Amino acid sequence: MVSKKQQNVCRSCHRMVDGDACVMCGSTNLTDDWAGYLVVIDPRHSDIAQKMNIDAPGRIALKVR
Amino acid sequence: MSEFGNKIYALKTTANKERKVVDDIVKLLKDHPEFDIKAIMAPDELRGYVLIETPDEYARMEQIVRLIPNARAVVKGETSFAEVEHFLEPKAAVAGIDEGTIVELIAGPFKGEKAVVKRVDAGKEEITVELYESMVPIPITVRGDNVRVIEKAQE
Ligand SMILES: [Zn+2]
Repeated sequence: MVSKKQQNVCRSCHRMVDGDACVMCGSTNLTDDWAGYLVVIDPRHSDIAQKMNIDAPGRIALKVR
Repeated sequence: MSEFGNKIYALKTTANKERKVVDDIVKLLKDHPEFDIKAIMAPDELRGYVLIETPDEYARMEQIVRLIPNARAVVKGETSFAEVEHFLEPKAAVAGIDEGTIVELIAGPFKGEKAVVKRVDAGKEEITVELYESMVPIPITVRGDNVRVIEKAQE
């Protein structure tokens, strides 16, 4: 597989980030070195979101290196 | 056992289309409020599958297969949360924080103050900081999730 640059994620909160800073936590500490893709739709009723400490819907990396 | 009555179904997908299937399901939900899906994930370790967290029944998941091009089949039966838990890595409270990082305290008596990180204890998920504008540098130890990173340490 051709290695294609992945989308950046926030190192602090694991959110996918399109610009220069994370819209959730404000961090500019971003990385494209992550694995596993998670979309949380209803964080208040999701065991996965609870386990991941996610309290807002959105696109999240499962593991950030 | 789910706290919310959710089940986890494994959906078989075309290889290398796992993340696309996740995105396509999310798009589908906008026009199909009959689906009650809480979260969807595509762990890299699980090639050719996505996992759907939902209180919905199996038959409803089979509808997804018909609506999403790269979705091939729903694996019979439910997967327990315990079986998928190891795919989840909660964000570390001290992730991305190193010595020299400038942070803002977002909780506690010094909320709003800026500080420099002096020590990181990853095991306890604690960091020790010194307040930026304090006359006497007093080290304060706080939980890693009680700060927000403002500026990384210079390499
Ligand atoms: Zn963030």
